Amino acid sequence: MLMLWMVASPLTSAAQEHDYFEVKAVPDTTQIRIGEQFKLNLSARVQLRLIPGINFKIVFPEVPDSFAHFEMVERSEIDTTGSNNVEKIFRQTLTLTSFDSGRWALPPLKFEVFSTTDGSYDSVFTQPIEIDVNTVAVDTTKAFKPIKPVRTVGWLLMDYILYIIGGVILLVIIGLLIWFARQKKVPKYVAPEPKETPYEEAIRELKKMEAEKAWNNGDIKIYYTQLTDILRVYFEKQFRIPALEQTSGELLHNIKPITILNQQREKLQAILTLADLAKFAKLQPAPQEHEDCLQKAIDIVEWSKPKAVEEKEEDKTNPKA
Amino acid sequence: MENTSYDIRQLNEKIHQASSFVDLLQMELGKAIVGQKYMVERLLIGLLAQGHVLLEGVPGLAKTLSIKSLSQSINAKFSRIQFTPDLLPADVVGTMIYNQQKNEFVVRRGPIFANFILADEINRAPAKVQSALLEAMQERQITIGDTTFKLEEPFLVLATQNPIEQEGTYTLPEAQVDRFMLKVVIGYPTKEEERLIIRQNLNPEGMTPIRPVVDPNDILAARKLVREVYMDEKIERYILDVVFATRNPEEYKLQKLKPLIAYGGSPRASINLALASKAYAFMKRRGYVIPEDVRNVCFDVMRHRIGLTYEAEAENVTSENILSEILNAVEVP
Repeated sequence: MLMLWMVASPLTSAAQEHDYFEVKAVPDTTQIRIGEQFKLNLSARVQLRLIPGINFKIVFPEVPDSFAHFEMVERSEIDTTGSNNVEKIFRQTLTLTSFDSGRWALPPLKFEVFSTTDGSYDSVFTQPIEIDVNTVAVDTTKAFKPIKPVRTVGWLLMDYILYIIGGVILLVIIGLLIWFARQKKVPKYVAPEPKETPYEEAIRELKKMEAEKAWNNGDIKIYYTQLTDILRVYFEKQFRIPALEQTSGELLHNIKPITILNQQREKLQAILTLADLAKFAKLQPAPQEHEDCLQKAIDIVEWSKPKAVEEKEEDKTNPKA
Repeated sequence: MENTSYDIRQLNEKIHQASSFVDLLQMELGKAIVGQKYMVERLLIGLLAQGHVLLEGVPGLAKTLSIKSLSQSINAKFSRIQFTPDLLPADVVGTMIYNQQKNEFVVRRGPIFANFILADEINRAPAKVQSALLEAMQERQITIGDTTFKLEEPFLVLATQNPIEQEGTYTLPEAQVDRFMLKVVIGYPTKEEERLIIRQNLNPEGMTPIRPVVDPNDILAARKLVREVYMDEKIERYILDVVFATRNPEEYKLQKLKPLIAYGGSPRASINLALASKAYAFMKRRGYVIPEDVRNVCFDVMRHRIGLTYEAEAENVTSENILSEILNAVEVP
């Protein structure tokens, strides 16, 4: 019955008549150094025209991870590219290596084909292949060499590209934030008013007191305080004397090195003495003394007028043609 | 009654006349004391303002001679107490002694019963004795047993501290130091002054005797007049600014002084600064105070009333440095 089934099987009959199922195991080299890897290309080719109308399934050999002095490194997927209506081609690549030196034979590998139509079965073996596994030739006459240091991998721009891009983006963000912050803070430009010089300020205030006849405006103490304060502020700004924090005596002493002021010492002393009496001793000077003091103060400021102001005034009165 | 300008003029004339003894006194003292004009001036401020004076200076600077001469020129009683570690309060103020004949306790008055007291090296005595003296200075009276004795006016204590020998001393606590109106730091005389001192001391006829030129009653009258010296509101404000700047320097743009000052001047500092300024104005024969008067006495009134922090001490900042900064920052009226 079995014989009858076998004779009746279309795969068996095709095999008898034609070579419809061809398998190959081809190494990329038969000479390797110990530990070196090599590829074993397995392929199975089925001629479809010789088994018309039969659906089949190919079973590749099951190669263990370790066998006959060989070790399996990698096993690729079965690839069917190149198949067409005439023939079906199946390919698989095994990466193998060996750590035993010598000549070792890769045993025949069994490929199987099953008919899914009627359940018939056939198998084909590959040819055994001999692989020479060579050791590294050692020259024992020479001295042992030290182990080579670890080799550093060369610097590549691409290795750091993500960091570079990230850094650039961060800088752009910071730059934008600073720009926005500055945009908000930048005050609107306001044309500055021409600044008064200490001389101009003092003269303006003294003239104002003169015009208003400030001594008639109530407390005489306030009048003399204002008068001496104008002079003190003028000395402070124009001659850098801390006059506001100095007593009358100290001020008179400290103007000594400033010749232009020292020339007006008597007038200044008269003002300060009278002012001190009015401020601290409730003295009521005669009305004429108020005006005299103010005039003396104007004289002092005019006398100590800086040269730049004098020249400016001369230019105004005698403009050059 | 508010002073009018007429009142001030009258007061000015009154003070001009009443203060004439100051020049006389200074001339008389000048016969015995060469140099030390500053110290004599401060003694007179203390005398006129009813304030006691703490003197700091090395030995041999005519401290004893000054106060002794002052008492002679005023015809007042002088006594000197040398403070030592074994001194007892009774040695200063007096004690009760049992009289066997009368079979009763009698009071024996201590050396403090005088017009002018020189408390030499006050920091050598223990706290109990210091307290007894300082209490007498403040209260101007002494209680021995059940009896209270009023100290005779004028009463002026001149205490000295020796800054070069600090071992075995009892430094005066801040609260006690505050009771002295002035703390005067005196220095060495100039070369010319010292030459005159040598000549004067080697004079075969001895030292020129000091004559009494002022009566104690004149001093008491002058004290009353000193209090009448006119002080304008502006000057009062200036005094307050100076004292408050020692307490809150940051309010006077002196933030840098804040970590250097542990505590500032007390209200007693303001009172004494005002009083000493008036006394100084009186000595200058003026009936009103001007900012110069305040600045002139400011260092002596304030230097012992400012507490320095450890930070200030580490940086060698003195209370004089702090006061200079304050006076240079506070606006003069």
